[in-house]
Amino acid sequence: MPKIEVSRQDLFSIACIDDPGDDKLADILSLVKGEIDASEGDKLKIELNDTNRPDLWCVEGVARALRCWNSGAEKHLTELPEPDMDIFVDPGLEKVRPFVAAFAACGWAPDERELDALIDVQEKLAASFGRNRKTAAAGFYLLDEIEFPVRYRTASPETSFVPLGFDQEMTLSEIPEETETGRTYAHLLAGSELWPLLEDTGGNVLSFPPVLNSQTTGRVSAGDSRLFCEVTGTDWDTVQLSATILACNLQDRGAEIIPVRVNYPEPYPEKTVVSPVIFSDLMITSMDSVRGVLGVDISPESVRKALQRMDYASVKLDETGITGILPPYRRDGIHAVDMIEDIAISLGLSSFEPLLPEQFTLGRCAPIEDLADAVRLLLIGTDCEEILRPVLTSREKVMDLSRTPKSPVSIANPMTAEYGVVRNTLLPGLLEVESTSAHAAYPHRIFETGEVLIDCEEGYCRTEVLLTCLVCGNKADFGDIHSIIGSVCHARKLEMSLADTDDARFIPGRCAAITIDGRVSGVIGELHPLVLDNWGISRPASAFEIALSALKG
Amino acid sequence: MTEERDLHPLEEKLLVYLEENGESSDAEIIERSDLPDEGSYRRAAEWLLSRELVREISRDEEEFVELGPMGIGNLEAGVTPELAMLREVARGAGSLQDIQKNTLFDRGRWGSAFGSLTKTGHLKKDADGIHLTCEPEETVFRKIWDLVYELLSGGGELKMTRLPEDVVSIINDRSPKRGKSRAEFTVNVLVTRVLDITEEGRIALRAAKESITIGAITPEILADGSWRNAKFRRYQLDIPPSQIHTGRLHPYRQFLDTVRKRFMALGFAEMRGSLAENEFWNNDALFMPQFHPARDIHDVYFLSDGIKVPPPERELEERVAEVHENGGNTGGRGWGYSFSRKQSLQAILRSQGTALSARTLASNPAIPGKYFGIARCFRYDQVDSTHLPDFFQVEGIVLGEYINLRHLLGLLRLFAEEIAGASDFKFLPGYFPFTEPSVEMHIKHPVLGWVEGGGAGLFRPEVCLPLGIDVPVIAWGLGLDRMAMLAMGIEDIRDLITPDLSRLRGIRVLPDHLLKGKVDENA
Repeated sequence: MPKIEVSRQDLFSIACIDDPGDDKLADILSLVKGEIDASEGDKLKIELNDTNRPDLWCVEGVARALRCWNSGAEKHLTELPEPDMDIFVDPGLEKVRPFVAAFAACGWAPDERELDALIDVQEKLAASFGRNRKTAAAGFYLLDEIEFPVRYRTASPETSFVPLGFDQEMTLSEIPEETETGRTYAHLLAGSELWPLLEDTGGNVLSFPPVLNSQTTGRVSAGDSRLFCEVTGTDWDTVQLSATILACNLQDRGAEIIPVRVNYPEPYPEKTVVSPVIFSDLMITSMDSVRGVLGVDISPESVRKALQRMDYASVKLDETGITGILPPYRRDGIHAVDMIEDIAISLGLSSFEPLLPEQFTLGRCAPIEDLADAVRLLLIGTDCEEILRPVLTSREKVMDLSRTPKSPVSIANPMTAEYGVVRNTLLPGLLEVESTSAHAAYPHRIFETGEVLIDCEEGYCRTEVLLTCLVCGNKADFGDIHSIIGSVCHARKLEMSLADTDDARFIPGRCAAITIDGRVSGVIGELHPLVLDNWGISRPASAFEIALSALKG
Repeated sequence: MTEERDLHPLEEKLLVYLEENGESSDAEIIERSDLPDEGSYRRAAEWLLSRELVREISRDEEEFVELGPMGIGNLEAGVTPELAMLREVARGAGSLQDIQKNTLFDRGRWGSAFGSLTKTGHLKKDADGIHLTCEPEETVFRKIWDLVYELLSGGGELKMTRLPEDVVSIINDRSPKRGKSRAEFTVNVLVTRVLDITEEGRIALRAAKESITIGAITPEILADGSWRNAKFRRYQLDIPPSQIHTGRLHPYRQFLDTVRKRFMALGFAEMRGSLAENEFWNNDALFMPQFHPARDIHDVYFLSDGIKVPPPERELEERVAEVHENGGNTGGRGWGYSFSRKQSLQAILRSQGTALSARTLASNPAIPGKYFGIARCFRYDQVDSTHLPDFFQVEGIVLGEYINLRHLLGLLRLFAEEIAGASDFKFLPGYFPFTEPSVEMHIKHPVLGWVEGGGAGLFRPEVCLPLGIDVPVIAWGLGLDRMAMLAMGIEDIRDLITPDLSRLRGIRVLPDHLLKGKVDENA
């Protein structure tokens, strides 16, 4: 979940409310599905739970939601002037980083704190929404340093400029080696021989996206009131929405937004795109749906009010139909239920009186769990202690230490080898108990019922529930373990028979396949001293392992 | 004798010996009497002394010293740190740092030797460094080496009375009663007593000899009727019982059983799933877009090449793909990307219990219906005191024609009260890709205050319709590990699956209290 750090003073000043204190604020933040993560002095950390609302990942967005809820929907990016700045995109970029959007913001001079907030949202959008700058990354520049039109072109690795924060020229190929951001982001351009470059008519480099901006045009500081913003990336929607969100934020701060025309060559589908794009997604539903989902007899007028407080500027409705338009910074409405949720949030969940479902339904236990419960009680009756072990384990424990005949299913991307396979037997888990419990009073009689993953024919895997039981102590021979499974089978009214078998885990001649009601269901034996030695177990041990379902009868 | 209990057989044996032999020392009695061992003798003697049937004629205590673990270390080093330090200073070492360069002892031991030597005045420290105030080979530390270490170099112990007073004083300082594992010396006290029988003892013994006293009742005694004229020896009843390691259920499984019982009592039928799923059931069927960050290789475990989970029916898969791409017949516009069948069939370890719900919805469930399942799920987390490689999640769904948001809130309230035993709770809007509206419940735990009480919502039409469900569905899920830790009174999540049997035996839970926040602190 995205987390943002904001200044309280900044937040409440643009939200146009008094600081309500943390307790009250926690309730208010539910409007934006936000939670206070930390609060210290003026610093406030907020976690935003909605991963589809990048517009909320900044102080301006959160403040806007609070403001609108108090005083209704606002106008965003309306009555913008005609674009008089152009960006020309060169052929070839479609293979590297195809899209660019841009606009200028004039007449608002950020102070230090506001500039920090601006940089924060630019970083947050690129990191979370823009997939670590892959699908979109933004940059800010001094408008007056740029000679239009700007070219978005491909450049050879030998092209050089002075990167932001440095005092000497570097070639594009040096940047991934010499700079921190270069090392972090250059992989995004891997595989391409030509790299993207934004350059103005005077030959000044604006940026080597998405890696570094230039020192000449990119050194924005507090007090600069004429800014140029660009967003480049690989995904059209992400690039445009990022630019639109940034434009809305700057307009909220008091800047005048001047659009930019982007001119694309063949083979792009569109020749020119003016940004910021004013999105206006239509949301259509009916009063019946709203009432059905929310379970309340709400009036059309209340629906309109609720939506306006969620910044739906235009809501058309009659007794049956509701049409809302999402504000331009939102594209997360993909079904009418999304608008219905906005109504619920606007009204506040605490305004809905909870009800219990009235229809009668049967409570029922899953058959395998029913069986497991019965068998677990039988084992408790034989003085066994129940064990619970993790499902993930290591190949070494299953194969090398325990000598399991069949190989377990491996994880392709394990975090550590220690949890690199999915268990296919419970026995290693019980052996591990023995290897760490020499100090616990003997005798040990332990068992586990649990899920394992079996690799069956044709590459398919299947989850199965096993029952494994182990005895260990000064005397823990075949007879001791045999009597346990024997008494369980007796209690379950099952016929059990044993047949000699070979299994590397057990001593030859003291190991048998268990047949229950005519079906081979598991194995029983005295554990081989090799296995005990592998695990550092200093007393004899015997065990059986069977498919739990065999005890169903 | 009416109030007195009868003689225990051990007591009788000791009295018999003393009556026959008169005054006797501990050693004589242990060696010559019929008492089975020293422990039996000491117990019998204590009982009889307290009843004044025997008396103590004399009592001698003698102290012996032997080397403790640290002393044995010194012996191996061939010198004590104090003596070594005095010698180093005599050789010109001017500061503690100089001496600590010598690795014969670690820094800590050099430091404490320095502390004791300045305390005893053998060393003085001033601005120039440290100085000797004595000749090392004439100090008590040299004496200890010669008189104690040398003589004990082959093991054994020494009588303390044979040692000079200054040596004894040092030994007493360095033989703590606690922390013996780091002691330089251990001092053992040997008590020698001489006992004799008293007049009361003789009377008691005579009375005992005249009557038949029954200890353990045997089938023979019952058969021959000899018990009719006998006395039953009185037992000492207030001794601690011997412990039985009973069979027992695992405390976490007991917790899970309790949760299951509560759900069944609320009319929920239990769902089961499998550890491995394909992405289709884990994510796609839940309308989680294939580009969703939680589906990343860093969040989900993929099974190795070649291992598969049976694919969904082709028609179902096509319906789900269409919903992702353009909303299909749900009235929505979908996520607007090109659905990958290959990714959909990738086998993974189940990352959320909601996969169970997806499968249940697709299998023609009862309407109205209520289902729950407890599922082991897997997330990409480093194992530590708050994360396990796999964790338990409970998942519930409710289907019904007239189900709405208020029923969702009502059910959550029921869960807060019935399952979590919460005193208070609140609802907050949440976000999950598969539900809308989405609600997060926070519950007030009696110990911890506000904690997450699970995520919930109404499944989106994009989830329900392709699976063949055209009524609203409430879905609810919660990780159980943390609730279990609270209920069981454990602080390290790894203890839930500990392989240490004695640790496990130490976790005591009361199943009937598990969901009320009452815990046994003595875990």
